[in-house]
Amino acid sequence: MVTVSAYARPSTMDEALELLAWSGAVALAGGTRLGGDTSARRVEVVDLQALHLDGIRAEGEHVLRIGAMTRLQQLVDSDLVPEVVREAARRERPSTLRAQGTVGGCVATGDAESELLAALLVHEAVVHLDTGQGTDALPLEALLAALPVGPGRIVTAVTLRIDGTAAAAHTARTPADRAIVAAFARESERGRRVALTGVAATPVLVQPGEELHPVGDFRGSDEYRRALADVLTDRVVEAIS
Amino acid sequence: MTPVTMDLELTLNGSPRTVTCAPGDSLLTVLRRLGCFSVRYGSETGETGAAAVLLDGRLVSADVLLAAQAGGHEVTTVESLNVATGELHPIQAAFVESGALQSGYSAGAMVLAAQALLARVPDPSEWQIRDAFSGILDRETGYVKVVDGVQRAAALLRGEKPEPMAPVIVERLTDGGGAPVPEAPAARPRLVPAADVPPTQVVGAGAAKVDALKLVKGNPAFVDDIELRGMLYAKVLRSPHAHARIVAIDDAEARALPGVHAVLHTFNTPRVKYASGGQSWPNPRPWDQVSFDDKVRHVGDRVAAVAAETLEIAEEACRRITVTYDVLPAVFDEVEAIQPGAPVIHDEDDTEGILDASRNIPRDVNGQTVPDEEVEAAFAAAPHVFERTFHVQQQHTCPIEPAITIGWLDEDERLVLRSSTQVPFHARRMVAPLLGLPVKQIRVIKPRIGGGFGGKQEMLLEDVVGHLVLATRRPVRLELTREEEFVSARIRHAQTVTFRAAVDDEGRLLGLDHRVVGNTGPYATHGFTVQSVSGQRGLSQYNCPAKRYHADVAYTNRPVAGAFRGYGAPQALFALESLMDDVARGLGVDPVELRRKNWVRTGDPLDILPALGERGAAEIAGELPRVTSCATDECVAQALRAIDWERRNDPTWKQPPDRPNIRRGVGFALCMQATAIPNLDMGGASIKMNDDGSFNLLFGATDLGTGADTVLAQIAAEVLGVEADDIIVYAADTDMTPFDVGAYADSTTYISGMAVKKAAEAVRERIVLRAARLLGLDDAGQVELRNRQAFAPDGRSVTLQDVALHALHLDDQEQIMATASHVSGESPPPFAAQTVEIEVDVDTGQVTVTKLVMAVDAGVVINPTTASGQVEGAMVQALGYALTEDLVLDEAGRAVNAQIGPYWIFRPDDTPPMEVFLVQTMEPSGPFGAKSIGEIAIDGVAPAVRNAILDATGVTVDDLPMTPERVWRALHA
Repeated sequence: MVTVSAYARPSTMDEALELLAWSGAVALAGGTRLGGDTSARRVEVVDLQALHLDGIRAEGEHVLRIGAMTRLQQLVDSDLVPEVVREAARRERPSTLRAQGTVGGCVATGDAESELLAALLVHEAVVHLDTGQGTDALPLEALLAALPVGPGRIVTAVTLRIDGTAAAAHTARTPADRAIVAAFARESERGRRVALTGVAATPVLVQPGEELHPVGDFRGSDEYRRALADVLTDRVVEAIS
Repeated sequence: MTPVTMDLELTLNGSPRTVTCAPGDSLLTVLRRLGCFSVRYGSETGETGAAAVLLDGRLVSADVLLAAQAGGHEVTTVESLNVATGELHPIQAAFVESGALQSGYSAGAMVLAAQALLARVPDPSEWQIRDAFSGILDRETGYVKVVDGVQRAAALLRGEKPEPMAPVIVERLTDGGGAPVPEAPAARPRLVPAADVPPTQVVGAGAAKVDALKLVKGNPAFVDDIELRGMLYAKVLRSPHAHARIVAIDDAEARALPGVHAVLHTFNTPRVKYASGGQSWPNPRPWDQVSFDDKVRHVGDRVAAVAAETLEIAEEACRRITVTYDVLPAVFDEVEAIQPGAPVIHDEDDTEGILDASRNIPRDVNGQTVPDEEVEAAFAAAPHVFERTFHVQQQHTCPIEPAITIGWLDEDERLVLRSSTQVPFHARRMVAPLLGLPVKQIRVIKPRIGGGFGGKQEMLLEDVVGHLVLATRRPVRLELTREEEFVSARIRHAQTVTFRAAVDDEGRLLGLDHRVVGNTGPYATHGFTVQSVSGQRGLSQYNCPAKRYHADVAYTNRPVAGAFRGYGAPQALFALESLMDDVARGLGVDPVELRRKNWVRTGDPLDILPALGERGAAEIAGELPRVTSCATDECVAQALRAIDWERRNDPTWKQPPDRPNIRRGVGFALCMQATAIPNLDMGGASIKMNDDGSFNLLFGATDLGTGADTVLAQIAAEVLGVEADDIIVYAADTDMTPFDVGAYADSTTYISGMAVKKAAEAVRERIVLRAARLLGLDDAGQVELRNRQAFAPDGRSVTLQDVALHALHLDDQEQIMATASHVSGESPPPFAAQTVEIEVDVDTGQVTVTKLVMAVDAGVVINPTTASGQVEGAMVQALGYALTEDLVLDEAGRAVNAQIGPYWIFRPDDTPPMEVFLVQTMEPSGPFGAKSIGEIAIDGVAPAVRNAILDATGVTVDDLPMTPERVWRALHA
């Protein structure tokens, strides 16, 4: 089990950034990943719960802002959130972990199998960060390629575009199991986006005809994952066309 | 190592509390320290839900939350509902009525989940319930009754009165009855009565579980729910290597760590050989284990054990033990392991009884009904021969309560072991020589157990705890983490199975040849007996003139195999029932009609059993054991109707025009199990009468959540003319209760039940004598006991309290009590028909099971609620066996999926609808006509799903689990 040697709950962003600057400090969002971490590392946690980073609100007609500390269940329950994203959030974790896990935690841990991240990718998600000196905004795909987030910045929100049409498809061992491969597609005035889980180290946006190099495991070999990526991509693209 | 502490303010169950804790303490740890025992450990990853609590009204997993995170918030546990002694909140009452509790280990979490959901949605849909409960795994009920419990609770809270949990009576189809099954919630079992079953009062009713109150209120009842002053925490250092010799151990740094009280390993403990499988004396050879060996034989094998003031110190001490290994080549596959040149896993010179150590074969099993020449002749002369090889995997039992033992020395300095065991009496006898103690110096207590399924039919932790208690003279607690549970507790045997069938043109079987290589891991434990049962089950359910079985038990460097519900039957029946569908397809006949020509019926011989070592009454008399009760024909009729079997001939159903990638299919499998091991399994019970006409019932049988305590109480109550709640059950405790072999081989209802019935009859004899005297009757035989009274033929009565007070205080005083035990020369098999409906996505290989139906002949069912719960739960475990569950190792032998998530057991929100039929037969040798029901429902789902895939797509999948990739490969081969 991960050993937690100190706990802090800062009430301002500056305080949080200062605490996170210490070596061994990690940001704690919902805590479901850290608490379930069975590795032997030693950490000091900085709990972000008092920073008022939760909440979902519309920003204009086509953009939704989701605070980093918004719990997955809040996404599932919100009428503002596109259906494909709500369902991906529901499939992300079981009820008990959804009630505690957050959108920011999901983004910052970059789980390879996260259908929610793939759903956010096709919705052109942008991750907003506080760096102490100011704010920064990165496309989700750029952040995922450059994890971890810290130490000098904290995820504060994710914005996504909610116009257009989106679809999802996946293959799994059982109806509630995490997908071996999941495909998401969205078509809007700004173009078409397709994202996949299970074919790279994090969920990724893919271009038509792009060659994939998945790493196989006991749930699916690389060959099978490539085949699933083709089938499921065709399905979601057809569904939005 | 002194941790910093912090003061935490939170509201617990409505009261403000200030708690001192460490920054890393989980909320689970802190709540248990505060006495909230309803919050229980299930895993490190928050996925079992046993530790779920409400945080500001949201259901969250307290095991993955830091207590510090809850500071300033409201925490609610089920203890908040426990305001009145002996009374239940409506949600709790609903869960008891519905049969939603089996072990009840996660009952607190379930009640809270219902409370949180109903606060938001007063009338939830089934899907909303399943989604809300998706974080609470239940390895036991199949979730059908959990859903019913929430619906019942919702009705009660709305002020409505839900329908009682009575069985739905279904007409017998084979008697010409054809009325449709009445509409009723799935949780209510469908009961198909038999005309020759005499009427009963308590037997046959869905009595509430006798342990329900303590479970649903979350009262301290399980192994870990006690506090002992000065208790030490144990941790086992486990092997990182699949196969290695331990050259040296340097434990100086570990011993020097403050707070460490003992470090035990091969160089400072005695070398006493044993076999850990919990079985009757003498345990089957070879005895190939010692508590701490100088060789490790799988990743996760024991190297050393530490006892320390805290778990953290014990873990740190383990890290400070330096072990020098001589790493050896390893072998994991059972077929490779028995080839010449494979690494030899047991090369020590002090293990007796290994058949061929050089080939890694501890035992083999041979049995046939006719000589080899006749078997070969049957195959040579047959017009059709079918053969196929199957591979079935290691499936873990995954009880939500991991293995745990707490030990201490009592005031007489006897060793007490409070253990999560199915076999307290076996464990006591087996642990004694390892510790150098006489049996009389040891007491084993089995309190409530959070599921076992066979995995706890093992002496698994008791020796380590015993050694550490004796070394430290302090109480010691050892609990496995979820990962340790996966890699170091017991797991179902993987097998490579080749089944060959010779058949004539009409589909009658002429020969069956069943060959197995069984993977026992590095220790033989249950290897011989499980592989024996595979042959018994593979070659019993069809009549056939020539049958032959051979199994090699193989040592490998995989985790240790042991007992698991079904005990060799699921492996055999996956192969047999798959092959039967291949035969049907080859001959162009309906798979059920093919089987109908061959399946055994009442009076047919079970001719392989004596050849495979069974020694029942018939065998001793030189005869063949025979089927004494069988309702296979009725079970099949019910199961086929419920799945709408004829749809397999409807092309538009099978290939829906609007879903081009989908194919649908239905599948069938016939099942048969045994009921106890004849002339071996024995159980004892004792009953004494109290002043008020209630009774104490003590027995050694071990309820793991199965409802056995309730069923045994019902049997006693039926005989004594009282209600089940007039029977105060205590079990099992080697100091207090009579001997029982424990929970295995489906023996409890049949064997222990008959012991209870005999003891109750002896008590009844004393009661009616005295009642006759009080009623002025000359003939005690005229007295009838019912409604807690003794009646004369003319209607006059005395209460059982009058009888008890008279006996204890007034005249010719006596303690009315009796003890009895039972062993049976018979093992009457239960039978069942399994049907499934599935969809296959032919482009991806994804299989979705859309319905499960099982019709079971378990004789006269004593408690339809708990019995149908057993069937539902076993079907869900079997669904995991079919589709997901497989402990996968990397090339070095390390498990890659030793957590609940990646391993995957079915959740409430992905379990298909299911329907259970209980088809009565009157089994002459069973208590009130009962046979067994605990195991059979795990046998049929995997072959039925495989056969449904064949029906849907025309392809065969012969390896379990049938993952999407395996199905895809079969489709694209």
